[in-house]
Amino acid sequence: MEIFKDLIDITLHFSSTVGIPIMNEDGSKLGRLHDYFIDYEEIYPSVLAIQFKRSGVLFYILWEEIISFSYQRIIIKKEAFPRRSRTFPKTLKAKTVTSILANQFTGPTVEYPPLGQIVLDKQIVDTHGKKVVRVNDIQFITAGKELRVTHAEVGMRSFVRRLNLEGPIDFFVRALSPQAKYLTNDTTINWKYVHAIPNRNIQKSVRLNLTNEDLKELHPADLADILEDLDSHGREMIFSNLDPKLAAETLSEVDEDLQASLLINENPEKVAEIIENMDTDDAADLLNELDEEKADAIISNIDDLEIQEEIQELLEHDEDSAGGLMTSEILEVSAEMSKGDVLAIIQKNHEEVASFHDIYIIDEGHNLIGTLSLQELLIHKDDAVIKDIMNDSDIKSLKANTHWKDVADYMNKYSMITVPIVSEENELLGMVSVDDVLDRLLS
Amino acid sequence: MKIENKKKIISPLLIKLTLFLSIVGPGLVTANLDNDAGGIATYSMAGAQTGYRLMWVLIPVTIALIMFQEMSARMGIVSGKGLADLIREKFGLRITFYSLFFLLFADLGNTMAEFAGIASSGEIFGLSRTITVPICAALVWLLVLKSDYKSVERIFIIGCSVFLTYIVSGFIIAPNWHEVARAIATPNLHSITSKDLPIMVGLLGTSITPWMQFYLQSAVVEKGISTKHLWHSKVDVIVGCTLMLIVTFFIMICCAATIYPTGIVVNDAKDAAIALRPIAGQYSSILFGIGLFNASFFAAAILPLAASYYICQGMGWESGVDRSFKEAPHFFTVFTSMIVIGGAMTLIPGIDLFKILLYSQVLNGLLIPIVVLFIINLCNDPDVMGEYTNSPMQNFISYILVMLMLLLNIPTIYFSFH
Repeated sequence: MEIFKDLIDITLHFSSTVGIPIMNEDGSKLGRLHDYFIDYEEIYPSVLAIQFKRSGVLFYILWEEIISFSYQRIIIKKEAFPRRSRTFPKTLKAKTVTSILANQFTGPTVEYPPLGQIVLDKQIVDTHGKKVVRVNDIQFITAGKELRVTHAEVGMRSFVRRLNLEGPIDFFVRALSPQAKYLTNDTTINWKYVHAIPNRNIQKSVRLNLTNEDLKELHPADLADILEDLDSHGREMIFSNLDPKLAAETLSEVDEDLQASLLINENPEKVAEIIENMDTDDAADLLNELDEEKADAIISNIDDLEIQEEIQELLEHDEDSAGGLMTSEILEVSAEMSKGDVLAIIQKNHEEVASFHDIYIIDEGHNLIGTLSLQELLIHKDDAVIKDIMNDSDIKSLKANTHWKDVADYMNKYSMITVPIVSEENELLGMVSVDDVLDRLLS
Repeated sequence: MKIENKKKIISPLLIKLTLFLSIVGPGLVTANLDNDAGGIATYSMAGAQTGYRLMWVLIPVTIALIMFQEMSARMGIVSGKGLADLIREKFGLRITFYSLFFLLFADLGNTMAEFAGIASSGEIFGLSRTITVPICAALVWLLVLKSDYKSVERIFIIGCSVFLTYIVSGFIIAPNWHEVARAIATPNLHSITSKDLPIMVGLLGTSITPWMQFYLQSAVVEKGISTKHLWHSKVDVIVGCTLMLIVTFFIMICCAATIYPTGIVVNDAKDAAIALRPIAGQYSSILFGIGLFNASFFAAAILPLAASYYICQGMGWESGVDRSFKEAPHFFTVFTSMIVIGGAMTLIPGIDLFKILLYSQVLNGLLIPIVVLFIINLCNDPDVMGEYTNSPMQNFISYILVMLMLLLNIPTIYFSFH
């Protein structure tokens, strides 16, 4: 017998199916449709079971036990056995396809939460549109004997449907402009781009293993925007699952007010790992925002002693001065080196250096004796020695206590992308790059 | 290993103080907003018409305010979400839509009241409302959308200190403190007539408003306070509400002592300014005008902003003043229309402002128990609050307060329509 024979539409909406009476074959009523359990591991998940409520208690019935499904009633087999549970035990099958949501539910003892409870009216991340949206309705299609989830609906049409005003509003819109886009289109998100953010309760009761594979594909700047749009709980949940490198990149892009709050609940070891992956100047700014005790704990957890020392040095400077703005991850070479040596250093150390725009030449006492732009370096022969090609006559540098506004003026005046920062004794401390100043100018 | 940075120089006490001040804030700002145009008008009128007789009402009102605001603040801290977000997630789109729809109507009336306050304060200085209202509406719009609002907020809060002059004025008047204390400690319930009901509802309605619950929770969320500082936020709410109570007390005392004996019926801002005569003499209306203008302008900026936020949160539309119109069209439409409609209504010749105020007050009165019931329900939901749900005692008191509100509101609405 065909399960959907009394159904004309191929597409169904979550909201218009909730409340359909569930009857036994023999005519007794069990309850009304409350929610669905779906196979989150599929790209377009099929419904595994339906949930209903009877005198305040939640039960589920397996999809296979349904004989017929229509808007009027859902009829189930006589021998069907409603099981009492708020969640659905996950069946562990060999995984062939992966979708975004599936990755969130992998783990040994996993119970599936009902679909509506984690998606309907909740905020989700649209990984295609790269933003946070609130779901108005969920779309299903009937496929053979199965019911599959295809889209999350977020537009005006689903909004009106939820208000039960679809009839009158459609009538008015049709009367006013029969070609209105509203009548045929609704903003939907393809299910493969839906990233649900389980709430506190779900996370506790079903122990989800969030791996966030789909989020790792996003640009850190987009990810930062998404984090800013989420509530603190969802934010923490996503952030704490990022690997240290992506976390560091994302953290640099996040609004300043939010940075500290993201780290507040993380343990110092994890934060230290993230900090190590950041530019030292950004890291120092961030540590300045935290309270001293916490900052100390984080710094002492940094494994790389060189980075630890650099950050401590940076912390000594005033936030608003060149010293507070600068990074110490710079390219410094000795005057005796050849072009080839320098290029080799660049190839070897490119990860640790913030910018190669300018190369700084130092003597044994670590004093700045010359500068050389990458551009100039590249146009010379391979055997050229640095001291012959470097600029040593009029070195443009600033002291660490220069106010950032003066740094901006200076860089603007001489059209510099990076400016070296030196101590009173001309010892090279670091450099300020134009993007650090630009940040200040724009905020 | 220790870092020797500049923070070392600052004493631990100062650090504690700055930490405290950075958390203290939302409650204090919200309490300041309570003394808006409608609030000052209601308190002045109550004092002028009934003397000290109804002052006791402020005590249960303040207790209710502290209770409800504490719940909203706690909810914001624990869940990290706005009130409209939580209502949407728990009660679904339909309930959220209709609640917020009526709330928006009530707030449109409230916005109008703020612009009426701006108009009245302008008239004290001899400026016609046809000039002040459009200019201020444009200023409010520009201020919120085009400038750094946070820094302007501080100016408003400092401006609110004008109302502290009521306290000074109160001491200069030196009323019979015995009489005041007796009126508060032993309320004379027999003397309450049906004429007092609108005043009592007014006192309740201007102090506890639905939109302020939404505003406070959003402000707390925006601050990103952690649950470790729950206690600080409680102090913030209590300090803010108590401060509001003191100012309100003195507004009523001043009016009761100076205007009540004369039998003058307070009809406009000029009459209410008499209460400041003991401190400012002939300049009392100027002082009152400045205070009223500051309060009205402040609220006229924040009210439409708060309303646009809760509408967009609840409906799932993009919101935020830093977005472009294209990114968040609903947000800017709601905000702009509230200012334009609210401002324009005060300019319609022959419009009965008082009637509109009454209706919006009635709507407010009806909505606040509903909003409070939402708050109580959410505060008892472990899915939302985790381990920070309400205690049975908190629930008990809250339900009693809701009952009292309904008991007060229903007959008032009945009488005002008959």
